[in-house]
Amino acid sequence: MLGGDAVLDLTQWILRHVSEGMKIKNLLPGRPMPFLTHGSYRIRYELDGPERGPTYVLVNGLTQYAELWDAYRNALIARHFRVATFDLLGQGASDKPELFISQDDQVAALSLLIGELGDGPVFLGGISFGGLIALRYAIVHGKRLAGLVPMSCFAELPPQLLLIGNALRTGMILGGTSYLQDLLLPMNVSDQWLKPVLDKLDSVKRQGWLVNDVFALQNLMESFLDFQPLTPQLSSIGVPTMILNGEFDFLTPRALHETLRLGIPSSSLVIIPNAYHAFTLEKPALTADLLARFAEDVLAGRWRGNKAVWIAPEDPGGELVPFPAGYDHLRAIPVQRTTS
Amino acid sequence: MSEFFGPLDSDNGVPAHQQTRVAAFLISAHGALARQFAFALPMKLESAWQTELNAQFYRESEIVSLLLRATTWVPDLTVGYMAASWETAWFPRPVDGIADQSLALAVDLATRAHAVHAGIRPAALLPAEVYAHDPFAMALRRVEFESSRLLQAQIMLLKGPNLVPFRDAVVSALARRHAEVRKLWTEALEGVGITAPRRSDDKP
Repeated sequence: MLGGDAVLDLTQWILRHVSEGMKIKNLLPGRPMPFLTHGSYRIRYELDGPERGPTYVLVNGLTQYAELWDAYRNALIARHFRVATFDLLGQGASDKPELFISQDDQVAALSLLIGELGDGPVFLGGISFGGLIALRYAIVHGKRLAGLVPMSCFAELPPQLLLIGNALRTGMILGGTSYLQDLLLPMNVSDQWLKPVLDKLDSVKRQGWLVNDVFALQNLMESFLDFQPLTPQLSSIGVPTMILNGEFDFLTPRALHETLRLGIPSSSLVIIPNAYHAFTLEKPALTADLLARFAEDVLAGRWRGNKAVWIAPEDPGGELVPFPAGYDHLRAIPVQRTTS
Repeated sequence: MSEFFGPLDSDNGVPAHQQTRVAAFLISAHGALARQFAFALPMKLESAWQTELNAQFYRESEIVSLLLRATTWVPDLTVGYMAASWETAWFPRPVDGIADQSLALAVDLATRAHAVHAGIRPAALLPAEVYAHDPFAMALRRVEFESSRLLQAQIMLLKGPNLVPFRDAVVSALARRHAEVRKLWTEALEGVGITAPRRSDDKP
């Protein structure tokens, strides 16, 4: 079963770094830490893999940091991709603006990073908040991309997500980063992942707690205060787009991904079975395999978006199967689709 | 040099010389804020927002009281001259670009409090293996937790509508204050074998 190994890998990775008492800047001893400069701010990034290969650029979720893509770096480099990861402004080892962080600045930082990559094909993936930044980039600079992968993503803030976001922000203000982590963990991963670490949650949370500062997370969250839906602009994204959505993601549920599927012309929606919001953490082997296959198909001219809906396999290398014809993929029970 | 306290003593407690240095800095910073909130606090509250001044004053005082009692103190000759530079840094300095002196002083106090509450994370210095029920460790966790709550008042003021016309002045004053407080904190820690992450705008 896929989940088991992935769970074990991630848990061991987190616990190993925690037990070594290492902070982010020491996570990769001996490797230099390059920075990009955006105005007065520095953005920390990492670039690995073959210089001439197509590149995957991966964008963190709200409380994440670049090292959480390590499993992807290894898997994608093994498939001959170059991999670029970075800490958004306000995260990890990048600068943390004291009072305001605009999403435009995050897009500018991403542009700087992609500008470092030369002329080869670039595939851009992002999870949750990072998916939103990737969407914004694709709307403005889509011609630079060969493909786009929004994961656990959204283009609008409907009432449920708005209220959950507000509650998460209030929770963090009242209870600190640790309480925010407590709220997010059960939304992000499955019981299967949580059960073996229930008695060591403090250790699991420690690295994220060390890396994240309340004021910086608050600034990231408050970058949504003037948020305008991206939906009207989705049709301008001309690149092949694979939208990934966890089967049980109740933070950004299927309907939010449906907005992307309907709005982006050359898109497909792929549902990850038995997955929650942070399936990139829980199922890295499967997700990395899907990313690689998508890019390989695009580069080989095999990709057909067609706004199709697929179900991903349980294991890497397995077959994607079409969502059963005639049934409504927006429902949690097998309801026949009605034409409207 | 490490980014955490240590090596820990035989009871997994923080060494006394590190406790002394860190507590002295925090008492200086939070004590200065307590004094300045006390000066700003009227005997009779006239506006709703002044209730927050009252809260800030008492919580800063509580932090000072807590650290005085939870710390294992040892002589630290360096603290004498360091404290002089700390106390000098806390002097009020009206923010440039705001003509109204009382507002400029209020913004200065808010930027300093923001820098202390947001930029100083004493609990992040505790290694994972520290004795969880050590009073000093518990005190640092409480200081950091309370700081993140006290910070909200500074965020509301500095991001608030009254300061929109002065946004550039506020943002640059806040960045300067953060860099200044971070530099003092870094120097204080380095003297007892702890290295704090530097930022691009930190002066060497």
